[in-house]
Amino acid sequence: MTARIDRAVVAGVACAGLLVALAGLIERAAGSRFERAREEELLYYPSGFMVRQAALGYETAAADIAWLRGVQYYGEHRLTDQKFDMIGHVMRIVADLDPQFVEPYVFGAFVLAQELKQPERGLELLERGMRANPANWRLAFETGFLHYVCRHDFAAAGRYFTWASRMPGHPDYAERFAAFANERAGNTGMAVLLWKQVLATGNRYMQDVARRELERLEAI
Amino acid sequence: MTRVLAIARNTLREVARERVVLVLAMFGLALVVGAQALSPLALGEGRKVVIDFGLAGASLLATTLAVFLGSTLLHKELERRTVYSILAKPIRREEFLIGKFLGLWFTTSMLLAGMAVILLAVVTLAYRDTPWQILGAVGLTLMELGIVTAVVILFSSFTTPALTAFFAVAATVAGHFAEDLRYFASQGASPAVQALTQGAYWILPHLDVFNARGLVVHGLSVGPDRLAFGFAYGLLYAIGIMVLAGVIFRRREFR
Repeated sequence: MTARIDRAVVAGVACAGLLVALAGLIERAAGSRFERAREEELLYYPSGFMVRQAALGYETAAADIAWLRGVQYYGEHRLTDQKFDMIGHVMRIVADLDPQFVEPYVFGAFVLAQELKQPERGLELLERGMRANPANWRLAFETGFLHYVCRHDFAAAGRYFTWASRMPGHPDYAERFAAFANERAGNTGMAVLLWKQVLATGNRYMQDVARRELERLEAI
Repeated sequence: MTRVLAIARNTLREVARERVVLVLAMFGLALVVGAQALSPLALGEGRKVVIDFGLAGASLLATTLAVFLGSTLLHKELERRTVYSILAKPIRREEFLIGKFLGLWFTTSMLLAGMAVILLAVVTLAYRDTPWQILGAVGLTLMELGIVTAVVILFSSFTTPALTAFFAVAATVAGHFAEDLRYFASQGASPAVQALTQGAYWILPHLDVFNARGLVVHGLSVGPDRLAFGFAYGLLYAIGIMVLAGVIFRRREFR
């Protein structure tokens, strides 16, 4: 009896393993054809409002899923065609689902401004973040950063750095940058310092961009 | 009270036989593996993602167990005809029902508490920081479970397990829409529709009261006033539903 059960279990497990391996092989052989469909899927990503209604009280977990998908989208395109058209859309969905989640505003604005060369859209996203998190120094600091580095609006940058330096929990460098921005407006050295700060505190993708920008600035 | 507790103990033993511990162990394993796998993908937000998924998973799992274990609880007693021998003793039908409710609520609460402890341990080990704030969110979820359990017991007191599960899931889903329902009705609906939605609003459980996950994942604590409000609302609503269940169950004829 035991031997018969054992044989049945082994046969069942082997059969399941075979089927799973077969499914994997089919996916590997034909999966690349559907890459485009996966890409287009983001076009139909529903609005944050709709996802919020469907999340049934699990909005922050849904925001994390959208965040992970956004990061994955950025990573995939960084390695291939450098097109990040949907990043703003995905980050806005994350913001709709979890307005207190700061990283999507920062990262989304950074990609929009640096990679898509659309600083206005980046600032729009940060503005939205500041409305939801008025006491967050980081959003004010990143706004100052974009004003300085992308828009070369040094007065606005100085204002936002000063604002960041007056918020609770700000690091020492916020005060330093507030002073630098007002004293050294338009100075390349200031931009180098800002990029070095991104290199020290940003995530790994932001650090890559900072390295690239530092190489460019130091070559000037 | 002793009779109610005896029924509750019995229910606890009965439900525990359903391999709840296995579910708990699987949850812990999934969380540990998930924590390791998700951290590098989340660009420095791994801790938030793990706490979020952990709390959402624990709450979903406990609610699902309350619905699916609870929907068959009374039916099994009727099918095995054990209910006749129990009710032949000097025990009131309402006491039997309350015992079932307490047993099921206690089991799912223990499961939720177990999952919260696993989550605390995983986050502490992985990120060298214990997110004690999650206990506030878990406390409120316990009260939400109380309401869901009471709703399951209410439906199981007069209908089949399949319909009980269906109605309980529907009530839970609608409970999360209660506020939206009132808001949409206020946006230019006819007076009749407004009156209807107002009625539904007051009948449905307001489950958003118990959702503090959005606070604790950002390191904020659940205030004592919010906890007190959640506990008072949950307790009153669950008692109200159990009174209704008792009235229905008392009139039920067993064949």
